[in-house]
Amino acid sequence: MELKTTKKQVKPQRTFNLQHALAEAERCLLCHDAPCSKGCPAGTDPGKFIRQLRFRNVKGAIRTIRKNNILGGICAEVCPTCKLCVERCSRTGIDRPIMINQIQSFLMNHQYDIKFSAFDKDSVVKTKKKIAVIGSGPSGLACAAELALLGHEAVIFEKNEKPGGVLTYGIPYLRLSPETLANDIKEVVGMGVKIKCGAKAAGKNAVSDLLKKGYDAVFVACGLSQSNILKIDGSQLAGNYTWSDFLEMSNDPKLRAKAAKMVSGQNVVVIGGGSVAIDAAVSAKKLGAEKVYVISLEALNELPADIEEIELAHKNNIIFKPQCRIVKIKGDGKKVTGLDGTETEWIKKGLPVPSNARDVKGCEFSLKAGVIVHAIGSRVDSDAVEMLKGAGVKISEDNKAKVDANYRTSAAKVFAGGDMIASGRKLNTVAAAVYDGKTAAMAIHNFLTSTKKGGIK
Amino acid sequence: MAIKNKKIDLSVKFCGVNFENPFMLSSSPVSDCYEMCKNAFNAGWGGVVYKTLNLEKKFKVIMPSPRLNALHYDGKRVIGLQNVEQITDRNIKDNIKDIKRLKKEFPNKVLVSSIMGYSDEDWTELAALSEEAGADMIELNFSCPQMAREGAGHKVGQSYELMTEFTRATKKGTKLPVLAKMTPNITDMVPAAMAAKAGGADGISAINTVKAITAVDVNLLTPLPNISGNSSISGYSGAAVKPIALRFMAELARDKKLKLPISGMGGITTWIDAVEFILLGAGTLQVTTSIMRYGQRIVEDLKEGMLDYMIEKGFKSVSDMIGKALPTVVDPSVLPHKKQAFSVIDKDKCVGCGQCYISCMDGAHQAISLDKNRKAEVDEKKCVGCLMCYHVCPVDGAITYKYDKFNFKTH
Repeated sequence: MELKTTKKQVKPQRTFNLQHALAEAERCLLCHDAPCSKGCPAGTDPGKFIRQLRFRNVKGAIRTIRKNNILGGICAEVCPTCKLCVERCSRTGIDRPIMINQIQSFLMNHQYDIKFSAFDKDSVVKTKKKIAVIGSGPSGLACAAELALLGHEAVIFEKNEKPGGVLTYGIPYLRLSPETLANDIKEVVGMGVKIKCGAKAAGKNAVSDLLKKGYDAVFVACGLSQSNILKIDGSQLAGNYTWSDFLEMSNDPKLRAKAAKMVSGQNVVVIGGGSVAIDAAVSAKKLGAEKVYVISLEALNELPADIEEIELAHKNNIIFKPQCRIVKIKGDGKKVTGLDGTETEWIKKGLPVPSNARDVKGCEFSLKAGVIVHAIGSRVDSDAVEMLKGAGVKISEDNKAKVDANYRTSAAKVFAGGDMIASGRKLNTVAAAVYDGKTAAMAIHNFLTSTKKGGIK
Repeated sequence: MAIKNKKIDLSVKFCGVNFENPFMLSSSPVSDCYEMCKNAFNAGWGGVVYKTLNLEKKFKVIMPSPRLNALHYDGKRVIGLQNVEQITDRNIKDNIKDIKRLKKEFPNKVLVSSIMGYSDEDWTELAALSEEAGADMIELNFSCPQMAREGAGHKVGQSYELMTEFTRATKKGTKLPVLAKMTPNITDMVPAAMAAKAGGADGISAINTVKAITAVDVNLLTPLPNISGNSSISGYSGAAVKPIALRFMAELARDKKLKLPISGMGGITTWIDAVEFILLGAGTLQVTTSIMRYGQRIVEDLKEGMLDYMIEKGFKSVSDMIGKALPTVVDPSVLPHKKQAFSVIDKDKCVGCGQCYISCMDGAHQAISLDKNRKAEVDEKKCVGCLMCYHVCPVDGAITYKYDKFNFKTH
């Protein structure tokens, strides 16, 4: 089933051609020590690829992106650039920033139009080292691709049917085009990376089994694949969904009709205020929901979601209920029928954390709803926690893997990256996960090729 | 992982000297000292032509200030650059020391010493000094258009006898290959180049800057740059002069008697510009204005872009490309007059601005009209295929052309 969308409204940036891209590149000030490049968590280096495009070195520009960020196509579509590279653009001081993501998107599409291969695979010297990568999300893909470039054999173990992890199951296809996703994964596979789907590496011996099988190192990047459910009255009723289950359903062409039937004519309430909450709300609306609410403790200007995403939600008539919380989910004994909520305020101003919220008396409300989507974050899933523990990896209080600056865990030959590591990062993006993956690959490479085989502290 | 194609590189042999790539700084503000040349070598340039040396005991160079003016056009900055700067104002000893140091630290890079004398003895001495310092080649500055000394610079380049004489004097002082750098401020460059050849020149560098006035300050009633109330006609360079430079490239390269290697320059910014110079006969390339505008870093794109082009087109080396477009440059009298083109407008791409309509109506053959949706249409019977519409159209691919099925039209 295809959803009705006006492509222009959902994704205006997929329309750049060479002429547009060159015109936009000509607006670039070609800054010394480009600030945009410093703003990219993946190190994609927009300052360089825009300069290359500007000087008609189009293939060079494509090479720069792919070399620095194997998932350049995906990042161009999903990256919150207005908080990263674009935010730092010097051109903003004159009029408006360069549309970096649109230029990047163009170059990535153009690569396929001209059938250009960014890497000279023949010149890779094979090392005969073999690395197992657990998880095919952005971090796993980036790590495997970089390892392949360094001459190692990289095999990805993915528990799901399709590769991509959160890219495939967690980002709505309305925001990340399936074509782009497929192209970037194809790019990784094209480097000689093997992706084994439906191959779950679980159990406390999973990692040691892989090492016994002859893998020289293991990179664990399982992401946060278990989503949280708000623990309140009624959250056990049918009609409660985690964001990941909900988005997986609406993203999968086979399950989409079922999801549409589920929300059709119903009010949908999304709990949360991040990008994922907006993704779920817009997806619900596109699937045919009646009214869609987004309830968050944060005020509108405090929402973690991007301003562009919030604008998209407005365009889709999503109703925001900022600075509110759900007190109770009501049901008919089996199914969700609605909820009771109340407005909240911050006890101490300027500190938007749940423990700082209190109810405002006399501002209680009730809503009618058939579906509640919980978009309040995710955690490392319990199987992965068991696997980490079994491998002897030290974990943090929130069950994330502890790593050093070289992405080494406390277990020998075991590295980890992506959302599942205790990074202390404020903004978990695809770009940051790519950075983890490629940097970890370099660390693994150094570990496997250096003569020192010191243990991990 | 190396991206470079193993089989092909950009190396080229020019006047017997090996270049790792054909890209050089030209003798100008960008090659003024050790520091700048060192940075250029590290950035990837294949060679430098060091800023013109002179024996300052006879004439002390003093630079005017301000010394630059630029042409900005239609929102684009520095389309062209006017410069009143002369040859080096640094002490000859310091420059020679710098050249020695550069050759010691970068033995595989090419260093060309540009020189300017005012008498036979000067040229001989400067050539000998350069060779002794380790230079790989000598370039004779016969073409600086803003020398504050009578009878120097482009005045020499306009006098065939002096060029022959000074080239001969230079050859007396050195065994190194000698390039004569030509002024474009002349009707025909070939006889001038022949005069240098008669004196023993091994190659030609072209073009130096074009004499120009970029602008007049209409409030102060003085051309720019305004140097304490006055200004001078002086050398103009950058993207704006490329077409003039390409013309001279073709004329020099296709001359049957001259037959000297050419170091081409004049407005090179992208690898496409560079390939154009080579296709019209240049063997190495020199750059200044775009370095002043964008920095030495552009060499990365010049090299990568050119190498990708060579791989795509199947050229095995830079030498393979030299002069490949020359056979198609013919006299207008022998242009083929067998077919006539007419414009084809893609209405789906047309945005209805009417620029083609205006140009065709007021400047061509009244062959374009706008339909009720403001989309342009061509009357094939009226269109003579001048393609003015194609050139003004702001949408890539909206206007193309086909050859006519009608008889040749005359108006």
